[in-house]
Amino acid sequence: MPNLKEILGQGFVLHRMNASIPDISSVSWTSFNTGVNPGEHGIYGFTDLSPHSYSLYFPNSRDVQAPTFWEILGKTSQKSSTLSQQYRKKIGRSYRSIILNVPHTYPAWPMNGILVSGFVSLDLKKATFPESAYPYLHSIHYLIDVEAEKAREDKGSFMRSLFECFEIRKKAISHLFEKESWDLFFACVTESDRLHHFFFEASEDERNPYYEPFIRFYTELDNFIKVLYEEFSRRSHGKGFFAILSDHGFAPVKKEVYLNRFLEEQGFLVLRKDGKFYERIDGRTRAFNMDPGRICLHDQDRYPRGAVRKEDRSNLLEDIKEALRNLKGENGEKVIDKIYEKEEIYNGPYSEMAPALVCLPNDGYDLKGSLEKKEIFGQNIFTGMHTWHDALCLLPEKIILPEKPFIQNLTEYVLQYYTE
Amino acid sequence: MDHLTRLENKSIYIIREAYYRFKDIAMLWSVGKDSTTLLWLCRKAFFGQVPFPIIHIDTGYKFPEMYRFRNERVKEWNLKLLIGRNEEKLKEGMGPGQGSKLDCCNELKTNALKMAIKKYHLKAILLGIRRDEHGIRAKERYFSPRDSQFKWDYENQPAELWDQYQSTVEEEEHFRIHPILHFTELDVWSYVKREGLPIVPLYFSRNGKRFRSIGCLPCCSPIDSNASTIDEIVEEIRTSKTSERSGRAQDKENIYTMQKLRALGYM
Repeated sequence: MPNLKEILGQGFVLHRMNASIPDISSVSWTSFNTGVNPGEHGIYGFTDLSPHSYSLYFPNSRDVQAPTFWEILGKTSQKSSTLSQQYRKKIGRSYRSIILNVPHTYPAWPMNGILVSGFVSLDLKKATFPESAYPYLHSIHYLIDVEAEKAREDKGSFMRSLFECFEIRKKAISHLFEKESWDLFFACVTESDRLHHFFFEASEDERNPYYEPFIRFYTELDNFIKVLYEEFSRRSHGKGFFAILSDHGFAPVKKEVYLNRFLEEQGFLVLRKDGKFYERIDGRTRAFNMDPGRICLHDQDRYPRGAVRKEDRSNLLEDIKEALRNLKGENGEKVIDKIYEKEEIYNGPYSEMAPALVCLPNDGYDLKGSLEKKEIFGQNIFTGMHTWHDALCLLPEKIILPEKPFIQNLTEYVLQYYTE
Repeated sequence: MDHLTRLENKSIYIIREAYYRFKDIAMLWSVGKDSTTLLWLCRKAFFGQVPFPIIHIDTGYKFPEMYRFRNERVKEWNLKLLIGRNEEKLKEGMGPGQGSKLDCCNELKTNALKMAIKKYHLKAILLGIRRDEHGIRAKERYFSPRDSQFKWDYENQPAELWDQYQSTVEEEEHFRIHPILHFTELDVWSYVKREGLPIVPLYFSRNGKRFRSIGCLPCCSPIDSNASTIDEIVEEIRTSKTSERSGRAQDKENIYTMQKLRALGYM
C-alpha cells in the first residue's frame, strides 16, 4: 500500500490496538462511536435475549445507551455518558457530521448532518437521515452491503459483487465528501471485512484464483485512501485531523469452535428438542454461550427456568473457566486464550446485562454460539476470523496514546480536536 | 344492544360509507378468519350480494385448504373474484427458499397488490386488519390514505373524530379502509361463532396443533393446542398470554436480520 506508506511519512503513526470485547463489529464500532465500554453503551453482540425470556432479540441503534461522538459534537442528544459529560461544555458550537456505512447505526436517527447506516441495515430509507439525502443514494443504486448469502452459491460472482459494492461505496463517500458541507466526516469500508471472511486463504497463495482480486482490492483501497487524503489536505490546509482505524484484526480460521456443544458435553448445558434457538434451554442448564464467546449463567433471578442460585455462582464460574482452559484444539494447543469475568472488563449502568464470562480465543479458533452442532469443532465456508488484539489505527504523530489502547480510547482524541 | 351487534353495526356503517364514496373499490381477502369476517360483513351490508370485486393476492404458496375454501365460498356467495399474482417473479422462481423472505413478501404480496390496484384502477380497498394485531396498527385509522409509493405517513393523517371519516383522495393515491379495526381477536371468534361463519379448517386442532394465524405455507407454524371447536378456541384465546402472530414468520425485520447475520457466520 504505497499511498498509505506515503501518508505515514507525513506525520502519522500506525498503532496496534485492542478491539472491544467481544471483538465483533456491532460492539467494537459502538465502542468507538460512543467512546465508552459496553457497560455504558449496552451493546454486547448482534444478538441478545429479551429480559426474563429465552427469545432472541437483535439490538439496533435504538438500544445504544450512550451518545455517539457526532451527537456530542452536534449537541443533539439528551443521552449522557462519562465521555459526553466531560466534553459537553468544551464543545463550543454544534458541529455538522457526515457518517456513512458505520455498523450498528441502523435505523438512522436525527442528528446534525447526514447519517447513512451500515450493517445490519434492512431498508435504505430507514437507514438514511435526513430524508433529503435519500434521492441521491437511490439515484446511484446505493448498496448497503454485499449480499453475503451469495458467497455460498458462487464465490466468483460474490467477489464481483464485492467490487461493485466497493465502487458504489467509494462513489457515495466521494460525493458526500466533496459536495456536502461538514465539520466531521466518518465513513466505513466494510468490503474488506467480507473479503477477509470469505477469501483470507487467497491472500497468501499466488496460485489461488482469488489471489489477484484480493491484492487488487487492497490496491484500489490504497488508491482511494490517497484520493481522500488529498481532498482532505486541500480542504483543511494542513490543519485538520485525519485518522484511519479498523474495528478488529483478522486471522486465518483453523477451526470453528461451537462452545454450546462443549458446554453440553461438559454437562453445563441441557437442551430440549422443542423450540427455536435459546427457547430450547432446559431447567437443568447452568450455562450457555452466545456469539461469539459470551458465556451466560442460567440465573434463577433472570430466566424463567433459571437454575443457578446467587450463592452458587462463583463456584460455577470457576468450574466453567477450568473446563474452558482445558479445551484443546489441533495438536493439543489451547483454544481459549483469555477468559474475563464481566466485572473485570465492563463498568457502567448497563454492565448488569453483560454475560458472566467472555472468552477470547487463540488465533485460528473462531468461537461460535450455534446450538445445533453435534461436534465441538467444525468447518464452515469462512476462511478468516476476527481477532481482538490487532486492530489498528493511524493517527497524527502528536497524539500520544496509552500503550496498547482500546478502540474506545480513540474517540476522545476526535472530540479533543474540536475543543482546540 | 349487545357488544357484537355494536361492533357489527359500526363495521357495516363504514363499509356502506366507503362504497358510497368510492365506486372503484374492492375488498382484499386473504381467506383468513379476519378478512372472511369482513367479507361476511360486506355481504350483510348489501343484503347478501357484494357489489364490488374481491381480490385475493395469491403468492402461489398458500395452503391447499385455503384455495379450496376460497373456491367454495366464491361459488356459494356468488363473489366476483379477482386474483392478484406477480407472475413475472413467480416465473423467475421467487419463493421463500430463494433470496430473503423479505424480498419474497415484498414481491409476491406487496408488489402483487400494487399491480392489482393499478390494473383494476382501484381508488380504495377494504382490509380486515385489527387494531390489536400488532403494535404499529394501533395508530391505524378506519380511512387511511396511501401515497403512490404505498407509504403510510402515520404522523400526517387526516383527523378522524367520532364518525366523521376523512375520505378525499389525491390522484395516484388510494385509500385503505379498515371496517373491522375495532374488533379484537376474541371478538372475531365470538362473532364467527354467533354467525355460524364457515372458516378454513386449519384453525382447528389436529394432532395437538392448530394455526392461530395463516398466510403462506412455508412461513407459518402451528401452535400447541387442543382447541378443535370454535368454543374451545374462544376459551383458549380468552386465557392465552402469547401473541396471535407468534407462530407467524411475520416479523420480517427479525428474519431478515437473522439471515444477514447468518450469512456472515453469526448465530
